[in-house]
Amino acid sequence: MRAFLAGARVQLRFMVAYPDSLIPFFTAPLFTIVFMLVFKHAGRQDLTAYAAIAPVFIALWWLALFNSGWTITTERWNGTLEMLVAAPSSFGAVIFGRIAATTAVGTLSFFEAWIVARLIFGATVTIHHWGAFVLTAFATLAAMAGTAVGMAALFVLARNAVTFSNSASYPFYVLGGILVPVSLLPHWVRPLSAVVFLSWSADLLRATLDAAPIHDFWPHLGMVVLLGACGYAVGLAALRVILVRVRGSGELSTT
Amino acid sequence: MEAGVAVDIRELERVYTPRKREPVVALDSVSLTIPTGEVHGMLGPNGAGKTTLVKILSTVLLPTSGTAHVLGHDVVEETRAVRPLIGIVFGGERGLYTRLTARQNLEYWGALYRLSSAAIRQRSAALLERVGLVDRADQRVEEFSRGMKQRLHLARGLMGDARVLFLDEPTTGMDPIAGREFRGLIAELKDEGRTILLTTHDMVEAESVCDRVTLIDRGRVLATETPRSLGTLISRFQRIDVAGADGALLAEVAALPGVSSATPQADGSTRIEVSEEGATAVVLRRLVDGGVTDLQTSLPSLEEVYVQTIGERGLGV
Amino acid sequence: MSTVRVVWYSVLSGANDYWSIFTLKSWVFGWVIRVVSQVTFFALIGTLLQSEAQTNFLLVGNAVMVAGMGATFALHQPTSERGNGTLSLLLASPSRPVVVMLARGLYVVADAIWSALLGLAIVGPAFGLEFPWPRALLVIPLTALVGISAYCFSTFLAGVIIAHRNINNLVVNTTIVALMALCGVNVPVSYFPDWLERIVELLPITDGLEAIRGVLAGDPWSSVAAHVGGELLAASGWLAIALLTFGRFIRAGQRDGSLEFAS
Repeated sequence: MRAFLAGARVQLRFMVAYPDSLIPFFTAPLFTIVFMLVFKHAGRQDLTAYAAIAPVFIALWWLALFNSGWTITTERWNGTLEMLVAAPSSFGAVIFGRIAATTAVGTLSFFEAWIVARLIFGATVTIHHWGAFVLTAFATLAAMAGTAVGMAALFVLARNAVTFSNSASYPFYVLGGILVPVSLLPHWVRPLSAVVFLSWSADLLRATLDAAPIHDFWPHLGMVVLLGACGYAVGLAALRVILVRVRGSGELSTT
Repeated sequence: MEAGVAVDIRELERVYTPRKREPVVALDSVSLTIPTGEVHGMLGPNGAGKTTLVKILSTVLLPTSGTAHVLGHDVVEETRAVRPLIGIVFGGERGLYTRLTARQNLEYWGALYRLSSAAIRQRSAALLERVGLVDRADQRVEEFSRGMKQRLHLARGLMGDARVLFLDEPTTGMDPIAGREFRGLIAELKDEGRTILLTTHDMVEAESVCDRVTLIDRGRVLATETPRSLGTLISRFQRIDVAGADGALLAEVAALPGVSSATPQADGSTRIEVSEEGATAVVLRRLVDGGVTDLQTSLPSLEEVYVQTIGERGLGV
Repeated sequence: MSTVRVVWYSVLSGANDYWSIFTLKSWVFGWVIRVVSQVTFFALIGTLLQSEAQTNFLLVGNAVMVAGMGATFALHQPTSERGNGTLSLLLASPSRPVVVMLARGLYVVADAIWSALLGLAIVGPAFGLEFPWPRALLVIPLTALVGISAYCFSTFLAGVIIAHRNINNLVVNTTIVALMALCGVNVPVSYFPDWLERIVELLPITDGLEAIRGVLAGDPWSSVAAHVGGELLAASGWLAIALLTFGRFIRAGQRDGSLEFAS
């Protein structure tokens, strides 16, 4: 637990020290503006919820791809990976603490979107199903963190992590139906979307912001949790491989 | 496991098998015992295996075979027991979070060494004071000089109040004054009863601060001695440098029993090497009787030992 | 004459750097997929709005925006020069740094333009967008113009922040999304209040995109030509400003020490 908190605390300090960490908090309001402009111009104020949610996913996913995903690799470049392994605290717990902190801070983007919609466009984002909203939000954040742990571990082991990082933004926005629901995508894409937790999350969050009753809440929430847990499991397995590579073959040596 | 042994290494081997290349033997049957409270130097060129050894002892790397115990605990089987007891200090620019302040760096590692918040605050303040960084405690590490970073490395290594410290080339790139101050710190740590394993290729450092020095090359231990007695490896006894002696006297001295050589030096003096106990006194008496007053005796320095045993390799690593 | 040679060698060295980063495989599977997804992401909004006109508007806008986006990556140039340690060498050389940097980044612009056209060519037909031939061929040079115009703008910005390497990435990302919001990419600029419309006209992409839309919609040539003129003006304007101010920013950074060369 202490390792987790140590990781979280140092990550907050990193976010303050590195301006790059702030990127999602600059782009989230701008994306909100883009989407709100389109919807307002088309006379569709009813889609405000869509415009408010998409930037949050964009921000969180960006943080996973460009921040959390590189946690272990940057430790390696910084020459601190082996020191971390040699410390008494659990390596995995520290990494998870750092990623959890980043993900939690990412939620600020929701407030930014909410404020932009209100102040610039006079549109309100109303939460109609509070309980469902809170549960979905937590499940989404947990899944995001779990997926980010998977990324952090895999980025160390994979050779083309940089390419993936740079290219895996928009493809996942589309597959994840974060702005345009998956139901509007061609049929052949749906199976792919089904394994991306974003699609279940986005649908649910939009439903909680809609007055209509929510259908199949628990199965959908279950999918979010399940897929997030998969990401986390992959991450844990990969972390083990990393430790083997550090200690066993010395492959990830930095000196 | 005897009491009073800090590090016990037996037949330690480490082989690297990189893809598509020949296996590399980094450590070849290394055995070494370091008693508690000793400052032990590991002297060798780049690629000798020093860093590999430090990594194994600090539980970062697994050996291929053999065993190593730190304070009675096996570094492979009992990492949980070993890790809280050791501190690692690497040299160089990396290994610190440059965008954080010195204090923040220490606080982070303090937390990872399971200290309470109060202990973290106390110890980081005390250590910053000790390594002379108290005025810079809240400055970003990226603004630090090399010497300051090195001192912070040492402070970091001490956050866990390590009983055994591993310093890997800690003074590389330091200016002489900073190096001397650093060595002073090491002496202090020794006085506190900590055991220190120091790797270096700086002969002056090994000679000045270490109780014993192990010469290592290509993964093999060549010798373990006090710095002074290592000198006797090459030249069993003393050398006498003579100036102002005429040729006849030198020839006579060279023929004395126990004298192994008399070599003219570039500066006009002659170096007489002896290989038997007691020969030095005879040589000196003969030279003084012959009217020579410009005399100097010495044991070979560690550098000469180093160069002699390892130096044939030259710069090619 | 020597300026030409400087430019030519700069282009060559930029190209070399570029291919050392991307392999063909990573470009195709990484970058192209991303570009196609990006254009698709926005075009799909039209599907959500159940409007083919919207779909086409968003599709064309965001495809052309890819050229602007790629060109904005030129903002990374000085930082990578600093990281490589070559910036100080560049400043010490007799050539003007801004000229060399402009030339070295041309390869980035070429890639941006090519990616935009590829995006349009792939995603367009997928959404049923019809291209009026042979008029549509004009989209190629017009997209190139948009890319170059954005490049000049971002070179100016690169000068502004040359002494502040640590916000480089932040400025790149913010600029890109800001341009997306303002330059008629997703909504026509006529939708903005007048004062905003006037400001936005000064930015790159705005007029060029209008020209491209005009070509595809079969607008009268006079209207297209007016927009082309507007974009040319913007491009040359930002280029001139960049040429004038870059050196000044560097000198300011050198004077107050903010332009340190250690990476």
